[in-house]
Amino acid sequence: MIEDDFYRTSSQYRLWSFTAASLQAQRATTNAVASDRVRAAIRRAQEARRSATSSATGTPVPEVEGSTSTSTSTNHPAKAEEKPIECLTPEEEQQTVSYYCEQIIQLGEAYKPPLPTIVRATAIQYLRRFYLTNSPMTYHPKQIMPCALFLATKTDNYYMSLRQFADGVPGDTTAEDIIAPEFVVMQSLRFTFDVRHPFRGLEGGIMELQALAAGQGQPAPHLAATTQTQTPESLQRGLLALPLSSSSKNITDRIARAHHTTREILKSAAQITDVYFLFTPAQIWLAALMLADRALAEYYLDTKLGTPAPSSSVQEAEAADGLAALRPKLLRTLNDCAVMLQAYKPLASDPDQMKTLRRIIGKKLYHCQNPEKVNLGGAGQKRIPAAALASSAAAAAAAATPTGGVDSGASESEMERLAKKRKLETAAESSSGSKDIFGGELVMQRTKER
Amino acid sequence: MPSAREAMANRGDDDEVCPVCKSSRYLNPDMQFLINPECYHKMCESCVDRIFSSGPANCPVAGCHKTLRKARFRKQTFEDINVEREVDIRRRVMQILNRREEEFDSKRAWDDFLEQREEIIANLVHGTDVAKTESDLQKYASENMRSIRANQALEAQEASSLKEQQTHEQELARLRREAAKQEYENERRELQASREDVLTRLAAGRPGDAAAIAREGKKVLLKKSSARRSEEDRIRQKQAALRNSDARKAGQGGLTADKADIAGDSGLIKGLKKIVTPEPEKPYDPFGGMVPNKRDYYTLRDFYPSSYLDPIRQDTRMQAGGYDLQEYYSRTLMEAFAGLGCFIDEEVAQRDDAGSLGVSRPAATQGAAQAAVSSTGTPEAS
Repeated sequence: MIEDDFYRTSSQYRLWSFTAASLQAQRATTNAVASDRVRAAIRRAQEARRSATSSATGTPVPEVEGSTSTSTSTNHPAKAEEKPIECLTPEEEQQTVSYYCEQIIQLGEAYKPPLPTIVRATAIQYLRRFYLTNSPMTYHPKQIMPCALFLATKTDNYYMSLRQFADGVPGDTTAEDIIAPEFVVMQSLRFTFDVRHPFRGLEGGIMELQALAAGQGQPAPHLAATTQTQTPESLQRGLLALPLSSSSKNITDRIARAHHTTREILKSAAQITDVYFLFTPAQIWLAALMLADRALAEYYLDTKLGTPAPSSSVQEAEAADGLAALRPKLLRTLNDCAVMLQAYKPLASDPDQMKTLRRIIGKKLYHCQNPEKVNLGGAGQKRIPAAALASSAAAAAAAATPTGGVDSGASESEMERLAKKRKLETAAESSSGSKDIFGGELVMQRTKER
Repeated sequence: MPSAREAMANRGDDDEVCPVCKSSRYLNPDMQFLINPECYHKMCESCVDRIFSSGPANCPVAGCHKTLRKARFRKQTFEDINVEREVDIRRRVMQILNRREEEFDSKRAWDDFLEQREEIIANLVHGTDVAKTESDLQKYASENMRSIRANQALEAQEASSLKEQQTHEQELARLRREAAKQEYENERRELQASREDVLTRLAAGRPGDAAAIAREGKKVLLKKSSARRSEEDRIRQKQAALRNSDARKAGQGGLTADKADIAGDSGLIKGLKKIVTPEPEKPYDPFGGMVPNKRDYYTLRDFYPSSYLDPIRQDTRMQAGGYDLQEYYSRTLMEAFAGLGCFIDEEVAQRDDAGSLGVSRPAATQGAAQAAVSSTGTPEAS
């Protein structure tokens, strides 16, 4: 089929389509690799801290450290070392990502006017693709999520200035914070920004269904060639003969209703579940239509693939040879997809899930966050040579503030103290680095910031 | 034929007498005998003039009823009329069966062909199975007209190029000879000149210097001659190189000409190479066999009723910008069915098995790993 070949050329098919098994394997690998890295990184951080405390006695560093960490454990390095670091499981990771996908939908609503569905859907797919090869333990979804959404506004031609965008993001997130992980995100997306959504396909299908209802249907190309069984009139009659559902008065109303329900499913369930990885957009919207109005969807498929009636003539069976093989397979796939869509329950509506999520994201993820990846602002700044070269104390302090934003639980006074400490450090550093004409070494500076 | 042969055999000494008019060379010293390849009966020039001037006539020899034409009378080349006849037959057969060795599949096939040709010639010469052989030959000739022509042309070309080459070589040899002669002259003249020079110096100089002058003169002579010899060597080498390259070029030219055309197989000759005639090129198809607006799942209509889209059709503000609702129709329907028949669980598994896994999947993980390493790498270095 020409249309299928058309889809096969897309990057979504080539790079972002998986079997259920390979998808799971991919997630497991990512999780395993990330867990190892996190453990190693935390160990390194502890060692560094211990050596720092042992060498620099009398400096106020340990006290500051102790007071900054609001919750527990890091203030006593020895104790933390004894306790093995508990990393997220792949399932927990997935739950976390799903939570932030829903956050994208809500964040999109918060703008005036709300971001288009397609932008949000693209952003969600970016986030989901990103966390196929990266773990939430490495990059916190909280940082990645706005970046993905901003990237989606750009790739979907919905222009917003960064400032305007940053204003809509809740919390004290700055514009720099939003674009800091942009390159990392793009790299993980393997620079493929094309996401094939089922939305436009749904519009096409509904458009054609309405034409059928109005008696202006066109028979499917291969059926028209062989038998003249399909005429606009017969198609219309077939559509009208469908068993009516209780709520709708006439067929147009029924189609409109199915359209609306399908769209809702595509906006929510299709986004948060794995269907984009496992099925093609055409299959997704048809499965969603099946959930919305099974009889309608099946009739529509029959007009396309021919009825499976055993009484069909021999020639027709011959002509639809490829389609005959296609039909049962397609129905099975659509059913799988529909089951997956139906199984979805919004996280927010389920207090149980929310509770576990709060545990995962609030505590567990906090502890197993890779300490070397927290400061994306620094990594982002690395790309701007001018900003990096400016090693003055003011610039360093400005760059340091976002880091403070990460542990937002810290109180105002603590923030001040932190800032003061950083200022001291940078001053000391700039005095040592003043020997260099071009300022201190960049790498050194970033270590201090952390 | 046998009768004619016998007659020819015992002509013996009466060479000097015309068998037709009985006039002898004794009376007419300028008499010349002519033969006609039709029957090979000998007669004198005046007889030919007399009998055949007014068009074709029967052979005047008793018992021979061949019709002869004047134009075909010619002088005898060989003394033995049998040899003359065989040569004629051979020439004719060779002209028809003029296949070349390159046209055959194998050496063996070529040899078979040569043998077959000899057999045909022998048949015709000795008169066994003449009718069948002749008809075979004629049939072959009419069937293979084109290849025969082509080979004849090739042969003619080869012959002419050979002749050209020969004359060229002769010309070169002549030039070389002349150069050598010239050289010899020069040498002789110089020798003479130096001798004279020595003599004049001897005459002018004092008697004590005589020995010295003589020695000097000899030395100059030696030096000159050695210089000349080395120069000659150089020129000769250059010429030899030139000759070689010429020969090579000529050979190449011949080869390409030979390859130029190869004719079709025929019933008579076995083992000819198959001729592959290149298929005529098909007209260029920019879509590679795809019908541009053909779709497999749907037929695009010009109009779809929709309360949402219908106003756009009337909206001049939209239409003015060049917005075409048809584009929207085709795009939405295309996306509605693009990939409907792609079963990812099967196809991706196949793709992964086929080793595209080795290309795409590790690339993904590698890329991610690299990204992770490159960004972890820097803090580690710090």
